[in-house]
Amino acid sequence: MSALATWDILETSVIGYGKGLNQDSVRTGGTGAATDPVVLAVADGHGSASYPRSDIGARFAAELFAAKGREFGALVRTGRLPWLRDYARYELPEQLVRDWQARVWAHWGRQPGPEGADAPREEVLRLYGSTLVGAVLAPGLFVAWQLGDGDLTVVDPDGRVRLPLAPERAELGDETASLCLPEAWHLVRVHWEPLPEPARAPRLVALSTDGLSKSFASDAGFTEFTSGLYARLASRGLPGIEDDVPRWLEAASRHSGDDTTLALALRAEDGGAGRDGGVAGADPREAWARAPEPARPWGPGAETEAEADPTSDLSDPPSSLSNPGPNLSDPLSERSDPTGGTRNDDEETERP
Amino acid sequence: MSDLPGGAMANRPVHFIWLLDTSYSMSGEKIGQLNYAIREAIPEMRSVADDNPAAQLLLRTITFSTTARWHHKDPVKVHDFTWQDVTPDGTTNLGEALALVAGELRTPPMPERALKPVIALVSDGAPTDDWRAGLRAIEATPWGRKAVRVAIAIGADADRGVLQEFLANPELRPLDANSPKQLAAAIRWASTAAVKAASQPVAGGNGAGDGPTKPAAPYAPPVLATDDDDVW
Repeated sequence: MSALATWDILETSVIGYGKGLNQDSVRTGGTGAATDPVVLAVADGHGSASYPRSDIGARFAAELFAAKGREFGALVRTGRLPWLRDYARYELPEQLVRDWQARVWAHWGRQPGPEGADAPREEVLRLYGSTLVGAVLAPGLFVAWQLGDGDLTVVDPDGRVRLPLAPERAELGDETASLCLPEAWHLVRVHWEPLPEPARAPRLVALSTDGLSKSFASDAGFTEFTSGLYARLASRGLPGIEDDVPRWLEAASRHSGDDTTLALALRAEDGGAGRDGGVAGADPREAWARAPEPARPWGPGAETEAEADPTSDLSDPPSSLSNPGPNLSDPLSERSDPTGGTRNDDEETERP
Repeated sequence: MSDLPGGAMANRPVHFIWLLDTSYSMSGEKIGQLNYAIREAIPEMRSVADDNPAAQLLLRTITFSTTARWHHKDPVKVHDFTWQDVTPDGTTNLGEALALVAGELRTPPMPERALKPVIALVSDGAPTDDWRAGLRAIEATPWGRKAVRVAIAIGADADRGVLQEFLANPELRPLDANSPKQLAAAIRWASTAAVKAASQPVAGGNGAGDGPTKPAAPYAPPVLATDDDDVW
């Protein structure tokens, strides 16, 4: 068996042409090793006078996803995939939205605007409106979530570019789903992709705010951007394009007029040798057996787990980790059979 | 910059369509003031376009009286646009005009990659044809449902109920223009605020791409000072 992938990551964000404030936010981290999953998050505050605090909303969104994504990545075990899938589809989107809205409401309570601390909650949430695209890459599993506009692009080993979370029909104009909408978790799209064969795992996973894709005259132009980006990464490596990416995003912002943010994970060629205390070429899943059992994101001990996260903003209310988990009798006893190669399973989260 | 990966980049169009009532009741001072107001608003529209380089503002005009017809049929960049005066000549076939607009809001000819179109309706009377059929035709198009709509009611005889239905948003109201000064201010506002609204993101998408959405009002008509000197 070849080594499982570890990843190099890059994040860049540029302010929209002629704007005074960048209302995008980005968080990245991890290597993809068993105890250090890659987490990518980009959030796009809606901007304009109608959403004056959307830069804060975007920051909250990216921070919350970074914390939740790490929790999620730490839960990945081969035998857990069935219930993790349900958790990814149903529980995590609702937790993200509820936690974001609680955090926004708490922020408003501490720093109310002219409307006053008792302004209608729905109106307050709107002031902070933001989209969110997030991804987790753990050994054997790639999962991504999207609420609102923005793009998740993936380059496969054969160089094919795909957009697993692209809606069947894009929103017309600049209308977007948002964390500020009531029950917004119903609008979250989820991509679930087990990676049983490391050789077939994606080579590049990129998240971007819509300022990038909307700068191109056609959808094909954006796909070509991802192809070209990967080609440059393949020839120059990540350090070889670090200085170019901000320039590319600035060019995009001049056409889209929007803040433009890119977060990417590039599969490391060495399979993560030496990372995470592992052995070169070793299967990081072996670390699962050695790693302590992570707490589930619900039930006793869950809040302690969240508070221990260094990205948590302790001044904000705790996340809704006490929500019950997926309704499964004994998730640990279930078994998956991830031997069928890379499998895509994209769908809207629709509760039964 | 030649190292930039990807296809060609381009800003996105904002299609702005004037829908002007040129029925007989507009004769005299009203039509003169309307022509004057739009001509004077063009520089301000150019200024708004300059402030929004990501939006390419394209203008067209439809007039409606006994028939509806294109006054400017092909979309013209605002910096190339010159106003040609309209003249009054008949009844008020608003429905025909709305149907004409609806034909342009289908995709194609409208591209999917665009900012919201703006439909600016100006009228001083009551429709004389099946205007609701025209409105339904607009609502049947995805871009029609997303369009930023503004309505200006000239004088006391304008049917504000019709204009309100055209707006299709209870949070918005037709803008009253009861004098030449108010008409000039209303045209100026419609020319600029609506364009800004079209080029700003709105939280309200439903994920399906085609549902009618009622976002918080992205623009609010100004309160126009009364002008006692010359009231229609």
